[in-house]
This record gives sequence, C-alpha cells and structure tokens, in this order.
Amino acid sequence: MIGFLRGVALFIGAMFLQWWWNTHFAYWGAAPQFLLVLTILIAARRGAVLGMLAGFGWGLYLDVARAELFGASALTLTLAAYFVGVARRQIDLRAPGPLAATTFLFTWASFIGLGLLGLTFTKSFEWSGWIAILVTPFLNAATVTVAALAWDARRDR
Amino acid sequence: MQRETRIANVVLGALSALALLFLSLPLSTPVRSFKAGAGYLLDPLAYHGEAGYRRVAGLPQRIRQLLQADIANESLRAELRRGEWLATTVSTLSLENERLRGALALKAPAGRSPAWVNVMERDPIHWYRSLVVDAGSDRGVSLNDPVLGPRDGRLVAVGRVVDVRPYTSTVLLLTDELSAAAAYLSSGTLEGLVQGQDGPRLRMNYLNAEARLSEGDSVYTSPTSATFPSGILIGRVARVNPRDPFLTFQSVEVTPVADASSYQELIILRARAPEGEAKPSLYTPPSIPVVVSSTAAAVAVSTTTAARPRRRKAAAVSTQTETEAEPAAAPVEPVDPEEAQ
Repeated sequence: MIGFLRGVALFIGAMFLQWWWNTHFAYWGAAPQFLLVLTILIAARRGAVLGMLAGFGWGLYLDVARAELFGASALTLTLAAYFVGVARRQIDLRAPGPLAATTFLFTWASFIGLGLLGLTFTKSFEWSGWIAILVTPFLNAATVTVAALAWDARRDR
Repeated sequence: MQRETRIANVVLGALSALALLFLSLPLSTPVRSFKAGAGYLLDPLAYHGEAGYRRVAGLPQRIRQLLQADIANESLRAELRRGEWLATTVSTLSLENERLRGALALKAPAGRSPAWVNVMERDPIHWYRSLVVDAGSDRGVSLNDPVLGPRDGRLVAVGRVVDVRPYTSTVLLLTDELSAAAAYLSSGTLEGLVQGQDGPRLRMNYLNAEARLSEGDSVYTSPTSATFPSGILIGRVARVNPRDPFLTFQSVEVTPVADASSYQELIILRARAPEGEAKPSLYTPPSIPVVVSSTAAAVAVSTTTAARPRRRKAAAVSTQTETEAEPAAAPVEPVDPEEAQ
C-alpha cells in the first residue's frame, strides 16, 4: 500500500516538477524532460511494463497541453520504456554511464519520433528547435545520472 | 523472462494501439471525450500549481513586509510612549506655567530682594513645623529672611528662614509652636502676637481685653514685626476664645491663609541679593522705632520665636541676625488692610 501511494506521489510529483521547471526555468525551449528521464529510469530499474504504464500516463499529460497530435507523447514514452526494457537485457543500465548514454540517445529518438508522428498525422514535421534538440539530450543525461544516484542511495539506505 | 517479455509485448501493443487511435481519430467523439476527461483531471495540476507557486514565490516578500511592519509597529509604539510622556510633561508644565504666571503678577514688598525658591522637602512627622527649600547661602538667603507664598493673587506670610546651608534652607512655618509674629486685626488695628500651635491653626494672644472681636477679621503682619514687612496677610479669625477673668488680654484662633502643604514655590525676601543679581532698591528707614540692641533679645523673642530652653541658643542667634539685618529690612509701608483684601 505504501509502495502504491509512493508511486502515485511520484507520478503526480513528476508531472508537477515538469510543469514547474518548464514554466519558470526553461530557456529557449531547453529544459530537462523529467518525464522521459523517469520513464527510462523506471524501465531500466523496474522493467518495461511498469515503465510503459508510467510513460503512457505521463505522455497523456503532455498531450493534454498539446493542440494537435493527441497521443504522440504517450506513444513515444511507451516505446521508449519498451526499448529500454529490451536494452537492459543487453546493457548494464544500473551503471550511471550507460544509463546516461541511453537517455541521451533516446532523447534524440523521441524528438525524431515526435517529428515523424507529426509528419504522418498532420503532414508537418514536429520541429522543436535547434536549441532544444541540441541541449536537451545533455540535460536529460545529466538529470538521469543524478536521479539514478539518488535512487541507488535511497535503496542502499 | 519469457513471461515478462510476453506481458511487455501485450502492454506495448495495447498502449500503442490506444495511442495510435488517439492520433488517428483526433476529432472523433470518444477521443475528444477522453482528451477532455484527461484535461479535466490533469489541468488542475498546472492551474493550482501556478497559484501555489505564486503564493510560495510571494512568501519571502510577505515575510519581509511582516518584519518591516513589526519594526514599524515597535517604532510607532515607542513614538506613542514618547508622545504620552510628552503630553504628560506638557500638561505638567502647563499647570506650572499657569501657577508661575500667577506668581509673577505678584508684587514683592519694596526694599527686599525677592527670590523664588522650590520646596524640596517636608518633614512628615512635623508637618506644620518646617520645610526645606532649594536655596541657601549660594543665593543670598540669610537667617530670619521672611518667607511668603502666593495665594489668590497676593503674597501671604508662610514663615521665616531658621537654617541656612550652602544650597538649601529650612523654613520655620508660622504654624510651628516656636513661631510668633506681631500682627494686627483689620477691624480695629488691634495688635497682638500670632503664635503657632503645631496644628493647622494659629493663636493670636495679647489682644486688648476690652476690644470687641469678631470672627472673619483678617490678620496682618504688624509694622512692629522684626521679620515680616507690614501688611502681609496671615489669616482670618476663626474663633474668638472666651474671656479668661484671670488674664488681662483676649485671644482668638486664626486660620492661616497659607496652606504650607500645598506650596511648590515660595518667595524669600532676602536682605541682599548675591553678586550678579539685580540689587534691591535703596533702603528706606522704617517708620517705627528700631529696637535697640540691649532690648533686642526680649523683643525679638516675643515677635519671632517663643522662648524655649531647647531653642534658646538658636533664638539668640536669630535675634542677633535680625538686629544685624535690620538696616536692610523691608521698608515699612503702611498698607491699608481693606485695600490689601
């Protein structure tokens, strides 16, 4: 029960953190994608199923604020969680380095995926801007490293 | 592992299908309804988050304002206390100013140098005997200087100086049993001797046995008084004592007009002003014969202090001082008692 409540609190807290950071600390569209980072981290530590469920819910939250392409973020995060679940069988994603590299790659992949979805369903590539595309992967890699270290520190305690 | 993979595949298929359905049919009623429902559930997060953020963001400023208000409050409280203190001071000074204004309008008898003094101390055990004032030899006060007080716009007799120290003096009140002053009644210019009784009233003795006395007569200092200038109001007759067949004189009870317990400022009529002060007017010879030194002791005792063994020495000193100070004594100016009233 406590684990469930903790999961709900994490789910809502992550959405609040994403909104708060994007609202007050995003510069030229560059901000850490906490929801993507947490989806990857959950999939890497707890498995693809839990990561997909969390990623789908967070994706819907992101899609609600979007005028078009409702479901694009949900699909992107779901796929990200699934592929991280597949990748963790081949790569040791418990180590911060491979996890950061995976996050870095999946950030670009998510940008490309969103663009392709836009191209498919609205006939226009969903372009997030050069600054966001170039800076956000680094921010996400740094964020997932910090989150993984905090996760491990809490588990060790 | 196989089972987990299968579950993951199933979940992926279901969620992806759902997401693709959202993407494919964005304008369909079910999708729009789902989006509206999701928006209804998730939008409050941003809405209330923004409100909460604003509230939290304004917290430091509100705390600062609260601290500033507290500081301002303390400052205003202190200012209010200062204001109250100032109001009290102004009120006190106003009363004092009014009292002194009335005192300034008084005219001291000519020939003497008047000095305003403050009452410092009263002896609670001997309330009717003496008080201490804040002027001594530093201000030219000398023994037997008469002490007057303002009362209803004029000066009345209070007592005389019996002890002079550098900065203070002791005033023997008329109500002290050792005090005595030659006086006369306004009704018939009958002379007598007013003596203290260590009480609120005085006693006037040695009045003509045949005279008709009446209550309410005013009692003034006599020109024969060695201490006071003549015509200074002492009191009023409160009661005429029954005649004593064994005495050759009558006596009356006198209520002094000077309530020594209520005075804060008094006037000492100094024989001479100290250096730096305005000099008194020129000496005018008194219109009554000056007491010769050989009989001074007896006369002075009768007019200033009653002869008591324990005060005999002081009385002698007092007499000598009076005699020496006589040339500078106040000019005796006959005062019409009715006019003085």
